[in-house]
Amino acid sequence: MSTIFWVWFGIAVYIVVGLGIALMARRQLGVGVSEFFLANRRVGGFVSALSYSATTYSAFMMVGLAGLTYFTGVGALGFELTYLCGMFMMVFFLPRFWLVGRKYGYVSPMELLSDRYQNRGVGATTAILALVFLVPYGAIQLMGVGYLMNGVSGGAIPVVVGIIIAVVCAIAWSSIAGLRSVAWTDAFQALIMIVTSAAVLGVVIAALGGFGAFFSKLEAASPGLLTVPTAGGSWNINMFIGLALPWLFFLISNPQVSQRLFIPRSVTAMKQMLGGFLIFGFIYTLISVLWGFGANLLVPGLENADLATPKLLSLSMIPTGLAIVVMIGITAAAISTIDSILLTLSSVWARDIHRGLINPKVSERGELRVGQWVIPIMAVIAFVFAWWAAGKTGLDFMIAPLASAASAGLLMAVPTIFGAFFWKRATALGAIVSCIAGAIVVLIFQITGAKPLGWWPGTWGFIVCAILFVGVSLSTKPPKAKAEEFIGYLRGALKKGNFI
Amino acid sequence: MTKSAWAWVWFAFLLALDIAIPWFVLTHVERLSGAFLFWTIWAAVAIASAFIIFLKWRGVEE
Repeated sequence: MSTIFWVWFGIAVYIVVGLGIALMARRQLGVGVSEFFLANRRVGGFVSALSYSATTYSAFMMVGLAGLTYFTGVGALGFELTYLCGMFMMVFFLPRFWLVGRKYGYVSPMELLSDRYQNRGVGATTAILALVFLVPYGAIQLMGVGYLMNGVSGGAIPVVVGIIIAVVCAIAWSSIAGLRSVAWTDAFQALIMIVTSAAVLGVVIAALGGFGAFFSKLEAASPGLLTVPTAGGSWNINMFIGLALPWLFFLISNPQVSQRLFIPRSVTAMKQMLGGFLIFGFIYTLISVLWGFGANLLVPGLENADLATPKLLSLSMIPTGLAIVVMIGITAAAISTIDSILLTLSSVWARDIHRGLINPKVSERGELRVGQWVIPIMAVIAFVFAWWAAGKTGLDFMIAPLASAASAGLLMAVPTIFGAFFWKRATALGAIVSCIAGAIVVLIFQITGAKPLGWWPGTWGFIVCAILFVGVSLSTKPPKAKAEEFIGYLRGALKKGNFI
Repeated sequence: MTKSAWAWVWFAFLLALDIAIPWFVLTHVERLSGAFLFWTIWAAVAIASAFIIFLKWRGVEE
């Protein structure tokens, strides 16, 4: 039978198994908003760890990061590992989010901010930030699936068809049982991601003569890719900071992952989630970067580096069956991220915009219905963006820089989040003004391509945002009673759990 | 200093190394034993530090 038949067969099996898991998860589904969006805060450590991993790591890794490594070298490793080092901040933020989530019943990170700052405008502003900047990030996942299916099928599956398959799956996984179906399918998909990527990397390295020969060939063929800045001029310090800064704070700036900090059922589950994720992330990052270097050796000279993975998978040295399984693994990575984004955006819209601003008296059932309607709407918007961007080439339209650009916008919520937990003097006006001004700076610089002093849009936006947050907060009146109560509660609870 | 303050200082130190070593110490080392090996070990140290801290957490609602 032909390759194309097996590609379609693999996709069909993946969809059927995923659907089966999602439907099984639905049997456990209870009622209410907290149940649908947070699985009632009762998720175990193992599923939390895998779900967090699958949500965080997406098509970005084996397509985008591999492509970036192919194109720009070892700086891509430093950039991605800087994100993982940023996860060190989980020792501060994970217990804080978890504790206040339980005490005050927050459903979204934006609701936490609204309550802490005693101002619904703060939640709405950060919600709009998420809606604007998560769309391109979601679209990137779709592009990854489109490129991959197109490459592995030898062009028989058009990019747009791959994108449509991903959209439909993401809508289904997130709608069937909310976080339960998302977390369960995520766990299944995370296992596929790590096992398949390790297997295919092993095949490539074996084909190149083992690890020793692989590294020797790399040093001989592309020594310039093993240092920073690279011989081609990539990865100067400004580029590194511009791309890595949004990544460093990803754990709190991206609501689809910070919302997960509410879900572990116990402190033990929290520890398992964090430990499991750190190990998964370290291994998966190394695999993706080595994969990119492998592509550089085996399929040199590509114009669009995001095609490095599809081209490598289509080489004759990779058994067709394995290539298809890896394609499914990367598709799983992409869909497990976009379904989480859709679910989070729907909760943010329902809780922080619809209930927070439009209709504060809406019933819980009505709020849930609104959230469920938002899922397909956001999916269609992401689809349109992906369709548009998929035809473009150049560094700005590569998956990794696009992903970082999206996170640069979300970075503007970081001072507000730090202030909520660590600074009693922080005010709602400081939060709103800093988020809006920072986001405008990022958007203007991204659209115009301006990089004054060589600094990237996220860097400039963050500087403006942080200065305004502190300045405006100091000149306005803070919600003193709430700040004392919120931070005072945390101080006691953190001590009790030996958190820091 | 509190434990929390020490942890922030350690984190800042790690970030300083993230830039200083690859760009100022290893910038001419065009081998796997240069920036590649540094970042790999550096990330492993960051992860190990997080483990040291969070393994001491105690259950508060279990």
